[in-house]
Amino acid sequence: MIHTIRVKTSRGPDIQGEGVLHDIRSVLKINSIQKVETASVYRLEGISKLQAKKLAEILFCEKINQAYSLNKPFAKKSSTVFEVGYKPGVMNPQVTSIIKSARDLGINITTADTSIEYEFHGQAKKQEVKEILEKLHLLNDTIQHIVMEEPKTLLTKGTAGKTTIIPIRKMNNSELLALSKDKLFLNLDELHIVKKYFVKIKRNPTDCELETIAQAWSEHCVHKTFKANLIIDGKKKKPLIQRIKEEALKHNKNIVSAFVDNSGVMDFYDGFAICGKVETHNSPSAIEPYGGAMTGSGGVFRDVLGTGLGAKCIASTDIFCFAHPNMNPSLLPNGCLPPDYLLKRVVAGVRDYGNRVGIPTNNGSVHFHNDFRAKPTVVVGAYGILPKKKAKKGRPKIGDVIVCVGGKTGRDGIHGATFSSGEMTEKTSSINSSAVQIGNAIEEKRMFDAILEAQRQNCIRAIQDCGAGGFSSAIGEIGQSQGVSVYLDKVSLKYKGLAPWEIWVSESQERMILAIPFKNLKQFLNICKLFNVQASILGKFDGSKKLQVYFRKKSVCNLDMKFLHHGLPQRIMRAKKNTSDEPIQSPRRWPDGLLRGKLISENEWIAVLERVLSHGNIASKEQIARLYDHSVGGTNDLQSYSGEELDSPNDAVVIRPILNKEFGMVISHGLNPVLNAIDPYWGSIWASAEALANYTAVGGDYKNASLINNYIWPFPDEESLWSLDKSVDAVVDIMKKLKIPVISGKDSLSSTYRGKDGAVIKIPPVLCMSVFGKIPNTSKTITSDFKKENSSFVLVGKMDFSRMGGSIYYETQEIRHGEVPHVDLEILPKTLTRIYRGIVQGKILSCHDISEGGLITALFEMCIGGGMGATIHLRGGRMDSSEVNHPEAFLFNETAGCFIVEVEHESTAKNLFTDVPFLMLGKTTKEKLITVQRNNRKMFSADVALLKKVWQEPMKKLFP
Amino acid sequence: MTIVKMKTKPKVLVLKADGINRDEELAFSFEISGGDAKIVHINDLRNGREKLKNYHILALPGGFAYGDDIASGKILAVELTSFFTEELKQFISRKDTAVLGVCNGFQTLVRTGILPFRNIGKMDAILTNNDSGRFECRWVPVKVEKNSRCVFLENMPDEIMHYPVAHGEGKFFAEPEVLQKIEREHLVAFRYTDKHGDPTLTYPNNPNGSINAIMGVTDKTGSVLGLMPHPECFTRREQHPNWRRMPSLKPQGLPLFKNIIDYVKKA
Repeated sequence: MIHTIRVKTSRGPDIQGEGVLHDIRSVLKINSIQKVETASVYRLEGISKLQAKKLAEILFCEKINQAYSLNKPFAKKSSTVFEVGYKPGVMNPQVTSIIKSARDLGINITTADTSIEYEFHGQAKKQEVKEILEKLHLLNDTIQHIVMEEPKTLLTKGTAGKTTIIPIRKMNNSELLALSKDKLFLNLDELHIVKKYFVKIKRNPTDCELETIAQAWSEHCVHKTFKANLIIDGKKKKPLIQRIKEEALKHNKNIVSAFVDNSGVMDFYDGFAICGKVETHNSPSAIEPYGGAMTGSGGVFRDVLGTGLGAKCIASTDIFCFAHPNMNPSLLPNGCLPPDYLLKRVVAGVRDYGNRVGIPTNNGSVHFHNDFRAKPTVVVGAYGILPKKKAKKGRPKIGDVIVCVGGKTGRDGIHGATFSSGEMTEKTSSINSSAVQIGNAIEEKRMFDAILEAQRQNCIRAIQDCGAGGFSSAIGEIGQSQGVSVYLDKVSLKYKGLAPWEIWVSESQERMILAIPFKNLKQFLNICKLFNVQASILGKFDGSKKLQVYFRKKSVCNLDMKFLHHGLPQRIMRAKKNTSDEPIQSPRRWPDGLLRGKLISENEWIAVLERVLSHGNIASKEQIARLYDHSVGGTNDLQSYSGEELDSPNDAVVIRPILNKEFGMVISHGLNPVLNAIDPYWGSIWASAEALANYTAVGGDYKNASLINNYIWPFPDEESLWSLDKSVDAVVDIMKKLKIPVISGKDSLSSTYRGKDGAVIKIPPVLCMSVFGKIPNTSKTITSDFKKENSSFVLVGKMDFSRMGGSIYYETQEIRHGEVPHVDLEILPKTLTRIYRGIVQGKILSCHDISEGGLITALFEMCIGGGMGATIHLRGGRMDSSEVNHPEAFLFNETAGCFIVEVEHESTAKNLFTDVPFLMLGKTTKEKLITVQRNNRKMFSADVALLKKVWQEPMKKLFP
Repeated sequence: MTIVKMKTKPKVLVLKADGINRDEELAFSFEISGGDAKIVHINDLRNGREKLKNYHILALPGGFAYGDDIASGKILAVELTSFFTEELKQFISRKDTAVLGVCNGFQTLVRTGILPFRNIGKMDAILTNNDSGRFECRWVPVKVEKNSRCVFLENMPDEIMHYPVAHGEGKFFAEPEVLQKIEREHLVAFRYTDKHGDPTLTYPNNPNGSINAIMGVTDKTGSVLGLMPHPECFTRREQHPNWRRMPSLKPQGLPLFKNIIDYVKKA
């Protein structure tokens, strides 16, 4: 029988209950609930009541501030109770700990489950309370359910599913398409190739084989678009990936491995290499943001772990794009979750996973645009370190053993790879709910500990993370050269009842596949045992050049590796510019809507500035950063927020991965989706320049840096493929001009939503450029906060004052046209070099790059940190006539690759910036005011503290 | 009882378990303070490959031991009291030993009952959910408690220091009579302070709502210390968010580690 223990707070605040009550009142504006109490519910199977009582008293309840009840509810009759638990089969991470701890106490539980009980006191009826649960998203029915009655057993029963033969050889087009729909996500051409293969080998495929092919050929795994031959506006062009690789490999001074491993690897110091990988997790995050974000983090951490012979993950970054949190709810398409909820739950997922695995989340950004309302963009980066001589994988040899380590396999995450390659529709959240997984960070952490120990002890031949496509992809890939035999009955399952194909493609989290030489097997298994990590021997490398999978001695898959990995022909894809849109790229130098230097009042100027600072993209994200552990590891030498009150933002990450060595790693990123929607080439140049400027502003040396490019694009129809092609052109040009390589990247080309009513929503295309690299000494880096009163600050770099399209200023002024700023690619490398040198020489006291919100925003952020003010003098006859004629274009222009730099004296700037444009802007002041003077007449003077309040407010509201 | 002969470097056992993630910086901090630190998995203690008695210092790092399931540090505390009660008793009764629990380690020490009253197997206090209801990572002003019984605080500055916190369950709480005893016996080692250096109950300087602004506690011998913030993440000056603004800044966590090493060396 099952014993049920309920534990609730008896002294002090019930933090969770109070939080729910707060939301009921402040978010839902409902006053009929007086109080909300919560209780943790533990169900234990297979023990006596006495044993349950012992566990309640020793393990579950701390009587200093808690009370428990055994096998009876706490709740009073007058109240309404809802118990929310995981659906059967969804992994509950707490269960392993409970079983372990009970065993430590000498009690063997068969199995356990946990849930949470909400008790609502007040006048509300049951139905109203249920609505509250739903509206506050306390119940996500993708993975959770309301526990209506005491379960009879917690064991998930089932008999193994069968393997089905699919008569593909006889199928016509419509039958083939029906087979593919919502399952295989292959197109008709591809289905015919599959059919032809089985006709040739004179048999029909098993479901397992079809699934294997679908996984291997999914856009997610094989990047068909990036590999395709292109015809752009009628002209032939090389495949996107080829263009990127060809240019990248010309700049190989620091490359250790690029485009071949799970992450890109570059040279570091003292015999080490560093690596970086950036991934997206958009589709799962759209339907279950908490689990989606968790598994996004978990997956990219494993990519780093699975690099070379195992790398240690040392930093992570998180970049999100959502609709505006205050978007009118009527704009939300059916089947989509509201943006404020998505943001909060994605942040919570990142927090709970990264913090627990102990990887500092050092850097990130959040961008808002309502066209992300159907599908958000969630980008997760991870960076690692490993000995250079272990930075490349070995080639598995015949007789090597295939070992799976980590979590058990369940039904979770089936079809993740194929699902994320499909477009989203309003049915997506119900049909593909099994694609959602819940992460177990501790499982990942102990697996990391074990694998890194095995790497140190030289046990590993090759390693592959089990991500999208599960074993099918991981084993398929690691076994590609030799061929493998795999025995699925050896897989450790969460519960019975999985069909062989389900075991094979399941994307259950926290698993890695390793090739272990037979002689190291015992040593490897001992390491796993020490770290409480489960290891299963699944098969061996057999030299057959085939992928042979067995279940209970029966063959369920027998495919040629060659067909699987090279059977998919290169596509030819066409793209052309969409000319039907209104001409957004206005040729006019000064588009309408600018203030044109009109004499507006001081208060009007301040109001304009406040609107910019409170825009979601610019508003302080400190409330989010504080939820992430960025100190773990003790490596962080440049905190995301610093300055007098520790609340002014910095531009990049500086860490010292080896604590007793002074060399370090710098990490940054840049993106601006709105610009790409207007002009994908210059928008992508902007994103890259922004990433490099962030990198340089802290003291990074871009010449010793590598790039990672991530394309999150709408489905590649002709128009979107055209813009993607332009974006790749931009990235190639950046490599050419800066002479540094892209060494890793990923594309996710499915961010289009199709509603039943024919509504199509495409996201503004995202190119997220990440930069990482090495510097000899982390103590030669700087922050953005002003350091000294009465020092000089200088604008460095070439601003494109005439172009403001896509700027925050335009958005707040509702101006919808204009070209996006052009970054001068001849000047950019010189600017970056000068800034880097000035910082290393200690001549630059503080530095901040110009980004969204323009020069005045950067200046404002430097003032907050400095606890001081600044006065700008706009004068005629200098860099650009806009300075006095169009002060708003000057102050709010967003040309990337430019900086505000603080130097003690003007002469320092003159000596430093000999071959790049620079402009003396003014001096810092003790008075905490930002003052703008035009030809020595005051335009406005704004109180820094008041501006700061406006700037902090939006995220304080969302993350109180 | 075996007493390990003191060589030049005291041996530090940094305890590792599933989900512990601040072991390396803790070991590093002991190393640079003159200790010989080794990260030891609890399974190696359970299988006898390692013995607690061969060490001078037991250090419990931060992290999320076993996911902090049920309550922070709970599963690890149950494991320690289930298998190591005798060894722990012997270890802490030795005159040449010290115990340090940081963050999750502090939570574990409190849940084993070692802190504050050495009642192994009985909890006298708890570290529970922050009043803010959330995990937070920030630097907070703290001060060493004058007259504390803790023996590791010698020559620590009588001024505001800054340590980073990174936790969601750091609120120290106990019954009034327990609290009185803690105060009476001078078991408080550190408190959260306001900008004047006075103990504070106000968020965010008191990041979790700890009663009496208690940030760290010791036991009656003063050789066991638990604290929520991370002194091991301030043993290099570059770890401070504002080291670039403060030319004379020294790493304020380092003296604590040096004192612990000195204490066991002298004993």
